Amino acid sequence: MANLSPAPILGGYDKSLPDVRLIERSGLALVSLAIPLGGEAAATQAIRAAFGLDLPAPGMSAAGKAHRLIRTGPDQALLMFDNNTANAQPAVRAALNGACYTTMQTDAWVVLAVSGPGTRRALERICPLDLHDSAFAVDAAGRTVMEHMSALILREGDDSFLLLSASSSARSFLHAVETSITHTS
Amino acid sequence: MTRPNRLNPGLTDRARPLNFSFNGRNMMGYQGDTLASALLANGQRLIARSFKYHRPRGVFSAGSEEPNALVQLRRGAALEPNTRATVAELFDGLHATSQNHRGSLEFDIMAVNDLLAPFLSAGFYYKTFMWPKAFWEKLYEPVIRASAGLGRLSLQPDPDVYDHGYLHCDLLVIGAGPAGLSAALAAGRAKARVIVADEDFRPGGRLNSETYEVDAIPGHDWAARAWAELLAMDNVRCMTRTSVFGAFDHGIFGALERRTDHLANSGGKPRQVLWRIYSRRSVLCAGATERPIAFANNDRPGVMLAGAVRAYSNRFGVTPGQRVAVFTNNDDGRRTAADLSALGVAVTGIVDTRLDEFIVDTTGRKELKTVLTNAGRRIEADCLAVSGGWSPNVHLTCHQRGRPTWRDDIAAFVPGPDLPPGMAVAGAANGAMTLAAALAEGRAAANAAVRDLGFAPSRKPVPRAEDEAFDIKPFWHVKGHKRAWVDLQNDVTAKDIRQSHLEGFRAVEHLKRYTTLGMATDQGKTANVLGLALMAEASGKTIPETGTTIFRPPCTPVPIGAFAGRARGRDFRPVRRTPSHAWAQENGADFVETGIWLRAQWFRHPGEKGWRDSVDREVTQTRRSVGICDVTTLGKIDVQGRDAAEFLNKIYANAFAGLPVGKVRYGLMLREDGICHDDGTTARLGETHFVMTTTTANAATVFRNMEFARQCLWPDLDVHLISTTDAWAQFAVAGPNARALLAKVVDDLDLSNAAFPFMACAECTVCGGTPARLFRISFSGELAYEIAVPARYGDAMIRALMAAGKEFAVVPYGTEALGVMRIEKGHAAGNELNGQTTAAQLGLGRMVSKKKDGIGSTLSERPEMNRDDDLRLVGFQPVDPSDALNAGAHFIEINDETPDMHSDLGWMTSVAHSPELGHSIGLGFLKRGADRMGDILRAYDPVRGKDTRVRVVATHHIDPEGERQRG
Repeated sequence: MANLSPAPILGGYDKSLPDVRLIERSGLALVSLAIPLGGEAAATQAIRAAFGLDLPAPGMSAAGKAHRLIRTGPDQALLMFDNNTANAQPAVRAALNGACYTTMQTDAWVVLAVSGPGTRRALERICPLDLHDSAFAVDAAGRTVMEHMSALILREGDDSFLLLSASSSARSFLHAVETSITHTS
Repeated sequence: MTRPNRLNPGLTDRARPLNFSFNGRNMMGYQGDTLASALLANGQRLIARSFKYHRPRGVFSAGSEEPNALVQLRRGAALEPNTRATVAELFDGLHATSQNHRGSLEFDIMAVNDLLAPFLSAGFYYKTFMWPKAFWEKLYEPVIRASAGLGRLSLQPDPDVYDHGYLHCDLLVIGAGPAGLSAALAAGRAKARVIVADEDFRPGGRLNSETYEVDAIPGHDWAARAWAELLAMDNVRCMTRTSVFGAFDHGIFGALERRTDHLANSGGKPRQVLWRIYSRRSVLCAGATERPIAFANNDRPGVMLAGAVRAYSNRFGVTPGQRVAVFTNNDDGRRTAADLSALGVAVTGIVDTRLDEFIVDTTGRKELKTVLTNAGRRIEADCLAVSGGWSPNVHLTCHQRGRPTWRDDIAAFVPGPDLPPGMAVAGAANGAMTLAAALAEGRAAANAAVRDLGFAPSRKPVPRAEDEAFDIKPFWHVKGHKRAWVDLQNDVTAKDIRQSHLEGFRAVEHLKRYTTLGMATDQGKTANVLGLALMAEASGKTIPETGTTIFRPPCTPVPIGAFAGRARGRDFRPVRRTPSHAWAQENGADFVETGIWLRAQWFRHPGEKGWRDSVDREVTQTRRSVGICDVTTLGKIDVQGRDAAEFLNKIYANAFAGLPVGKVRYGLMLREDGICHDDGTTARLGETHFVMTTTTANAATVFRNMEFARQCLWPDLDVHLISTTDAWAQFAVAGPNARALLAKVVDDLDLSNAAFPFMACAECTVCGGTPARLFRISFSGELAYEIAVPARYGDAMIRALMAAGKEFAVVPYGTEALGVMRIEKGHAAGNELNGQTTAAQLGLGRMVSKKKDGIGSTLSERPEMNRDDDLRLVGFQPVDPSDALNAGAHFIEINDETPDMHSDLGWMTSVAHSPELGHSIGLGFLKRGADRMGDILRAYDPVRGKDTRVRVVATHHIDPEGERQRG
């Protein structure tokens, strides 16, 4: 039987508008880490040893050379790194050697990268979170709802954000973000 | 065309003339005009007809409180009725028409109502149309409905787009008049994040309409400079054309920004944006609204508020009349006369109630001609400027049940002590009715707020200004026999209020409902306090004793389109697609919405005449060989942790602690009250790792309940949940050839019955290395598996499965065939798990383990849920195989006449045509169902007019021993 080929959810969407660029960030692996009850110290140590990252506070992320770790809850974090294979989660599980429970999440999410000077103006139309520097600094991350769709937003840089939402409604999510950009461009 | 009333440019831009039309008449105005100011400049006084009596009406105010000058703007699908000319910004090409008349505006045949006025008093409809009863629906109601309302809708879809948005700030300043500007400047200079919003297109509030000076320059110039300073601050967001319409919980405000209403064309951008503003503190600087005095025939075109007369003359350079009289109970009136005189307009008389003179009548049908006073003076006037005092705009302070309090010195209600959390009020809205006081209060309120938030307040002093004279002696109503209007928009007169009192509708809320005082677009902004004063007078109470009605959001009209935002048509809600969606589209799928998922319900083949052909073929071929169905939509929850097994043992009604690794178990979940919640299968992939499936419909609620249980009920358990519904593409492969098909796809896994029996599961790979999960479970009753791959491989997987199945003539099947097969097999689904049924009723009573505690197990023991004569899920077949069964039919004994509470034996929940059996089959709940096998009953269905004889059978219509799925 021939090998199966993966398909990006949105076909590798990439669109540039005058002051906003919107792309589908495909090729990213997402692995959810759950910290065992009472195992916080061991998990923190294992994560540092494996990825060179300190476990960030909830609502924040930490970026290393190859990995970004987003704290999504008291006992939960999402590890994000470039890896287009289906073996990302077993590799993470092996690297952490039981210090965290791991779940493959790559396919659960669509990841949109939105950047450029018009980004925050566009996001005002769908993102209930306060994205001002004082409230949502670079590396901040938050769960929210955009146009009825559950979402995770992460600030990569001054004017660049990652937006994650359910892969099954990826087209609706893309449409919502696109509409916000065209409404404000 | 001459524009005799245009005195000077005012604050409009002479360099930018604008053409517009009113009722087909071409007119000209300037950039900076409102439609009202431009109409007045062009001498158009008659603008509308009143709601009930169709009386001629003109412009009454210069703001959002306007009760009279409602017009229709634009045309075709973009036509918008009930627009206030006083806030409609003029643009080139504006097309405006009047409304609420039959015939022309000048000769409205409905004006006959005015002659019938003695019969049309408050409560007229309630009293008159009581009899004969039969007339109501056929005659009265249609006639009343035809004449009700003001403008007319286009009845076409709204061509504009709308949007929503979210803003955040430390301090929200509501209103950019003197108090608001002063507040915004103070907070902005303190480096707080400020949003300042004003409903006008020109910030400044009354500074634009009066001749005051601030910091030794004209007030409007000071306002423009202040605004420029605010615009230059990157911590301040300046929003004009933005009405803050509601104060909600936790410092959240609703605001409507009109972004393109002042443009001829929106250019495809949202016309209006509904903002949700999250504020830490707010300062309400909404100013005050002037109110009239009630006197006979006080509604003629030309009678208007004194402050509006000053606004038109000072701000727009337009005098509303050539001979203006003034009627006042306070110093504002005198200022009106002074301002007009300075502009060279003839002031023909001042009537000041403080000197015991008042107006007793007016003349002029379509525009004011003269006014007559109690002193016998007859004053020629085509405009009468009326001031009965000012009412602070307290509305937003009341949106969380705050009640305003009365202040005698200004004869007005001011905000009460119970403000929405975080709110302060400054300026005229707070009863500080003079300029210097407003500037000082705005600054003080902002400084207090920012200090409270940890900012260092700016030391810059309050802008310099004078406190103008503001003396008022309350005077509400000139008594007389002729009609004196209180609420112009709803044609409520002083007599109506007296009548309401006489008939016992004395509480203010009753007064409002009985007379309609304070309803409709203006929400009685000019009428409420006057109405209360008259009710107080009638009942011998004080105004504060009489009280106010409850103010609720929105305090200014918000179009429904703005509330809807983008949620129209296909954007009404998101759509979830399965990983095989594109493949299904290519292969003739018809899709069905299950929640927000789109699922293939069947795959149409050429030559098939209807859906039944497709479904019968899919079922038959699946049972004969093999079929494939995308079951990705079922909820999947990854459950991990040292205590995951114990956790599941508590979540499910049946035992899970002992489930071995590599096995799947069917589980039943109860709610706390013992009623069934959901069912599904859970696979144990490792000692600490389970994968649960839920029904499609309950995926989110099951996850939520489990997260609650984990965090709140059993926080000591080491268990972690995460949804993997979207992460895995999952396909059911069912039918006698399922194993043979999968063997071609699955790498290195022994699929023999011995090695991989019914209810086995394994992690494996497919197609040469793609990770996968295989579960041997069956919803169809056939030899069946579910194979899952990471969703990105889902499209490739369905194509690989179909290719591998070609030699078995594999069919894809949709939700309809899935449904047919589960009914044939007797499996419960949503129709049976309807939130009202118990495990016992479903025939699953023995699954509720008594050896351990689980959610709902205790309350499931309630006697009423365990009666012997209770409903039981059983199967049904028609006695005559040619009869089709209907879900929803009720069962009665064969000898009973019709169903009623006593004879009702239960109901049919699910039906299908079984291609295998060749007739209709059903599932349903029947009293003592288990004891009635073989009995014949009537399935009575009055909705469809059917009455079918059915035989009670087992729920398993096919393969009752389960040999196929275990084979």
